[in-house]
Amino acid sequence: MALIAVLAALGVQGCASQRSESALEDAAAAFQAVKDDADVLRSAPRDVIRAGESLGRAERLSGYFGSGADVRHYAYLSQRYSEIAREHSRLAANQERLAKLDLERQRLQLALREAKLDSVQQQGKWLETQIAALASEQGERGLVMTLSDVLFDTGRAELKNSASRTVLKLVQFLQLNPARVVRIEGYTDSTGTPEDNLTLSRERAQAVGDMLVDLGVDEKRIEVEGYGDQYPVEANASERGRAQNRRVEIVFSDAKGRLAPAR
Amino acid sequence: MKIPTLTLALAVLGLAGCANDPAPTEQLRVSEQALEQAKAVGATDQVGEFKLAEDKLERARSNLLTQQFRDARMRAEQAELDARLAEARVLTLKSEEQLNVLQTRVNRLRKQLAVQP
Repeated sequence: MALIAVLAALGVQGCASQRSESALEDAAAAFQAVKDDADVLRSAPRDVIRAGESLGRAERLSGYFGSGADVRHYAYLSQRYSEIAREHSRLAANQERLAKLDLERQRLQLALREAKLDSVQQQGKWLETQIAALASEQGERGLVMTLSDVLFDTGRAELKNSASRTVLKLVQFLQLNPARVVRIEGYTDSTGTPEDNLTLSRERAQAVGDMLVDLGVDEKRIEVEGYGDQYPVEANASERGRAQNRRVEIVFSDAKGRLAPAR
Repeated sequence: MKIPTLTLALAVLGLAGCANDPAPTEQLRVSEQALEQAKAVGATDQVGEFKLAEDKLERARSNLLTQQFRDARMRAEQAELDARLAEARVLTLKSEEQLNVLQTRVNRLRKQLAVQP
């Protein structure tokens, strides 16, 4: 019975030293790997040194009988130090990349901001000239843009498709000048009754206003007025004169949103 | 017959333990600190090494109570390094997440710049 126990104990010991052997080998391999890695050495020198010390201790102990548990313990510690060292070097590498990437982000952000600014300024300038070509300064009424009757069919209030491009420019202009507001004024010639003309002029102005709203201009920035056949720009005697009187005028406020009073 | 042998063997081992090892209170303190630090950076039981560290520290404490100082010291030492590894892994993981976020932002900026006139 005692013999069996001793044999069993020896057997356990044999297994144990085999386990210790492989733990030792693993730890040695891990240490070799971090020791030969310049990045790891640079970012976690102390942990590498400790991995080496623990490994040395494990190796020395492995020469003694019955030291299996200690060998495995120090092999374990050595392995852990190696892993910690490697993890630290990963972290350091990531932090380096983070710093570089953040610099790049800042650079790109600046470039983008400049590009956007450029394009807004260019667009703004282009539109200013476009609007200026379509509009004229009218004394105390300020900047006024006239949409002629070719944008409407006779007697109809719906905007024709050919009006879209002009209105689109108007929308872009208003989007680039968010403080500006407009008053849309409708006018007719003197054909027909004054009541019908007043209604038609108002509907035409409203049609332009609705289109602006549909295209994203805030309703609050738009006033709509109908003046019927009042304020003709030409005598209604000729067809040419009447055509010029059938119109929608867009009165712009100044850059601060101050609009000339309605007529 | 068998049981007395085993008891004797344990007694001898126990004695040997007592003779060689003082109570590892300082090591336990250091290990506790390492665990605290790992927890402070966000390590949880989800991190394998942290769970290991917690378990080993727990066992080290009970070893200390039963005066198994050698076991207590070894477990506490392992717990310390387990915790330190857990801490390092959590930090690396976090930095990887940050890298991903930043990389996405940089990619987005590049794309936006590419479509600029």
